[in-house]
Amino acid sequence: MTRRVTAAAMAALMGASVLAGCGGTGTAQTSAASKTSAAAASSTATTAAPAGSTSGDVSMVFAWWGNQTRNERTTNAIEQYQKDNPGVKIDGQFSEWNDYWQKMATAAAGGQAPDIMQQDYQYINQYAKSGQLLDLTPYIENGTLDSSKWDKNMLESGTVDGKIIAICAGMNAPALVYNKTITDEAGVTIKDNMTLDEFVAAAKTIYEKTGYKTDLSYGTVQEPMNYLLRSDGVVLFGDGKLNATKEQLTKYFKVYEDGIKEGWELGPDVYADITIGSIEQAPIVAGTSPDKSAWNTLLWSNQYTAMNKLAKEGMDLEMTTWPSPDPKKSDFIKPGQFFSVTSGTKNPQEAVKFLNYLINSTECNDILMGERGVPINSDVADKIKSQLDETDQKIYNYIYNVVQPNCSVINPPYPDGYAEAGKVLNNVVEELCYGQIDASQAADEFLAQGGAALAAKSGS
Amino acid sequence: MGNQQPVKTAASAPARKRKIGNPINNEKTAGYIFTLPFTFGFLMFMVVPMAISLYYAFCQYNILQPPVFIGWDNFAKMGSDAIYQKSIGVTFYFALVSTPLRLIFALFVAMLLLENNKLSGFYRATYYLPSIIGGSVAVSVLWKRMWATDGTINRILGINFPWLGDTRTAIWVLIILAVWQFGSSMLIFLSALKQIPQSLYEAAMVDGANGWKRFWKITFPLLTPTIFFNLVMQLINGFLAFTQCYIITQGKPMYSTEFYTVYMYDQSFTYYNTGYGAAMAWVMVLIISAVTAVLFATKKFWVYDGGL
Amino acid sequence: MKKKSKTGFVIKNIFIFAFAIVMIYPLLWMLFSSFKPTNTIFATAGQLIPTTWTTDNYVNGWKGFGGVGFGSFIRNSLVIALTATLGTIVSSALVGYGFARFEFKGKKVLFTAMLLSMMLPAQVLMIPQYLWYKQLGWVNSYIPLIVPYCFAIQGFFVYLFSNFIGGIPKDLDEAAKIDGCSYWQIFVRIILPLMVPALVTGTIFSFMWRWDDFLSALMYVNKSAMYPVSLALKLFSDPGTSSDYGAMFAMACVSLIPSVVLFLTFQRYLVEGISTSGLKG
Repeated sequence: MTRRVTAAAMAALMGASVLAGCGGTGTAQTSAASKTSAAAASSTATTAAPAGSTSGDVSMVFAWWGNQTRNERTTNAIEQYQKDNPGVKIDGQFSEWNDYWQKMATAAAGGQAPDIMQQDYQYINQYAKSGQLLDLTPYIENGTLDSSKWDKNMLESGTVDGKIIAICAGMNAPALVYNKTITDEAGVTIKDNMTLDEFVAAAKTIYEKTGYKTDLSYGTVQEPMNYLLRSDGVVLFGDGKLNATKEQLTKYFKVYEDGIKEGWELGPDVYADITIGSIEQAPIVAGTSPDKSAWNTLLWSNQYTAMNKLAKEGMDLEMTTWPSPDPKKSDFIKPGQFFSVTSGTKNPQEAVKFLNYLINSTECNDILMGERGVPINSDVADKIKSQLDETDQKIYNYIYNVVQPNCSVINPPYPDGYAEAGKVLNNVVEELCYGQIDASQAADEFLAQGGAALAAKSGS
Repeated sequence: MGNQQPVKTAASAPARKRKIGNPINNEKTAGYIFTLPFTFGFLMFMVVPMAISLYYAFCQYNILQPPVFIGWDNFAKMGSDAIYQKSIGVTFYFALVSTPLRLIFALFVAMLLLENNKLSGFYRATYYLPSIIGGSVAVSVLWKRMWATDGTINRILGINFPWLGDTRTAIWVLIILAVWQFGSSMLIFLSALKQIPQSLYEAAMVDGANGWKRFWKITFPLLTPTIFFNLVMQLINGFLAFTQCYIITQGKPMYSTEFYTVYMYDQSFTYYNTGYGAAMAWVMVLIISAVTAVLFATKKFWVYDGGL
Repeated sequence: MKKKSKTGFVIKNIFIFAFAIVMIYPLLWMLFSSFKPTNTIFATAGQLIPTTWTTDNYVNGWKGFGGVGFGSFIRNSLVIALTATLGTIVSSALVGYGFARFEFKGKKVLFTAMLLSMMLPAQVLMIPQYLWYKQLGWVNSYIPLIVPYCFAIQGFFVYLFSNFIGGIPKDLDEAAKIDGCSYWQIFVRIILPLMVPALVTGTIFSFMWRWDDFLSALMYVNKSAMYPVSLALKLFSDPGTSSDYGAMFAMACVSLIPSVVLFLTFQRYLVEGISTSGLKG
């Protein structure tokens, strides 16, 4: 319990520092809020006057992406809510990740977006800037959405242009999962908050001693690069431009270049044989021989459970922070997913009430069981933690005891154009790993093409 | 067959006019009536969406916000888009190589399976099944496993070649996947082969023609309309191919397998340059139209019994 | 046809059989994988036969999602695929006959329109179509998945049928006409029986394509209880957390059954249609 108290104190402190750090934000937020609450009031007056009073039957749609477990639990939570709130009907619609975004975009184009949608850090900016998401500030102010027990950093992460448009559905942190059996064999100790140099040294030793290679997230290098550049105080993907300098980029591209040359990094041909991003096929668990397997993988804390299930007999998987020249500056806690209410909803009040249920109700979260990540409501998180199994408890401890004491505030949500710029980055790393270009050319190419992709989207 | 041509010309001659009250029995109007479902369906379900997408081609559009008209900018952008230009090359290569291979294969197997014996039903099913499972996840997983550096193919060949990781060979992994799914062309060939009158073969056998000669003198000429049909359809399919690339390589390595449609899809739904994606789609329509027009122009030189 | 030499026959059959195995190996792989514990599928992808056999994947997959069993998804798919296929075949046969047997003004334009509709990548029509069907009030129903197909919207089938009808000797029509048959009677009594192989081919294709159709299901079907199989199968995977490939493969095998049964039932008609030779001779 004491640990929990310190963590909460920590969170409060950090929240305070965030708000203090951006002095203007607080006031800007309230003024924006009062404006929109007026707008919200007028819109409810015209469209659904009795929305607040729950007199008539209310029918809403709640959409999310996820796997079987999530679909099951969320559907059960909806059923419970409907039982507790007669007259409210919620239709749960679930899709696979890629399909979900295609469906949401098309539905939004036709003005048919669901009332409540699960959101992702990659998309909230785009949806918020195009006016698809409802500003929740007035509902937090009038208490419909109770934020008193929340991690304030996470509240900040769902804020775009001073409007709170998304509430974190579960906290997450970068996690390096490694095969302790192999590191032990190589006589290497992996400690938390490892620097990049220590990591590279470990990678080399492991390769020399065991033949196992290192997974540097080939194909999904946006996040690691983002992470590394935070140590230089740089937000890589900025609004309309890339913020890193050529020197900063070259420094990290060099790691990829050297890794291939020196042999300790998994080459692109290994990734060509698998589906990148599918943890079931990750070289750490699915590799057939040491030169096609990795001793590590760069993931997120909520993927640790699934990774652990994939571990073969005698494979001991542990979790630590991603490497960085300055771990404290690099590391962060991320909202795994968000929930948002869309601006087109006919029942904003009811939608927010349901959102409040999802986030703050212990009864609801007893059903959801933190499947989306660590709940931001500290009471809820505490209650769930005691019911979790050993693996899931490990994730809680990792976030509260390893990451939270030694991290910085997450970068603002990705700007419009991030998807294309991220693709450019991966292509550049691909060329680099195929030996077509060197680290400095890679930096040039990324700055030119990635910058252009972001610039094309700014102002739109 | 020879006697069919004159009959056809006689029938299509405008001289034949009938005066029967019911318009379905009037040769001039019957055609409109029988094709009415398509006319209605096309006007009702295709024209409006096609017009909207054509409009998007001239807009900056990100799906979430209303489109903004920008004239020819999207088309101009293609001129400086290196990935776009690469994808055209890849798509032409894929379509022009995989289509003939697939058809030759389909025809060959259809001829083998023409006979009716106890096992032929089973064989037809097994040869068709790969087309049924099409673009499923299992195919994507397994196909990669087979061509992996430590996969089945290399084990059989006793080598260690990264088929999917090499810019020269990755496209061939996709071509072979496309050829492997020859089932639908095979079925069409099967039904057309059955349409060839048995009496022609019997007569040819009396004349002492061997199998090879019978194929070139009877089967092939009578099959040319079907070959033409399959060629047009499969070529269109080839240019519009999406699944193979999308589930297996995603354009890797270094855009050497980037299909046109996959790039178009990414622009439309991943990067939200949906106007640009629409412009790309309409350029593709022009490309395919040109290719199809060329095919139709060659038709009179080698296809029996024109029809359309 | 006369039998060839016996050794030739045996060699040919061995060849066909061996090749058939190569062809369906991926299917066998999927089938056997569906009996492996789901977390070992990728680690043991190189071996066909499971080390430990389990039916958990079938139990788990059949359970479905959020209280909707997989059986419902299959039923939904059957409803969609069967009605849409019926509509496709009937309308396309009519239109195909119109194209193959009649000359009329605007035929070239219509035929070109048909080809054109096949050349536009389907992905690019998704949003415009959605907006249009929304105008028609069809969103959140099966209508967009069925009704357009009843109007010969897929040029492939029209072209296929008209091509096949083109191969039917025209003197049969002429003879019937002399006997006093109307065009409708010619179509029903002469053309339709003769184009059975093409109709069967079309039915098999159409059913399979409607069964696999995923994009329009994604766009227009919202309620999970109404999801067809194509949509449900994808729900087993979630790149962000974990995917249940075992259950996915198991249900993929189950969902192949209707297509395979349909094929096996009808495939003999592909080659056993009424032969034109008798009539012609």
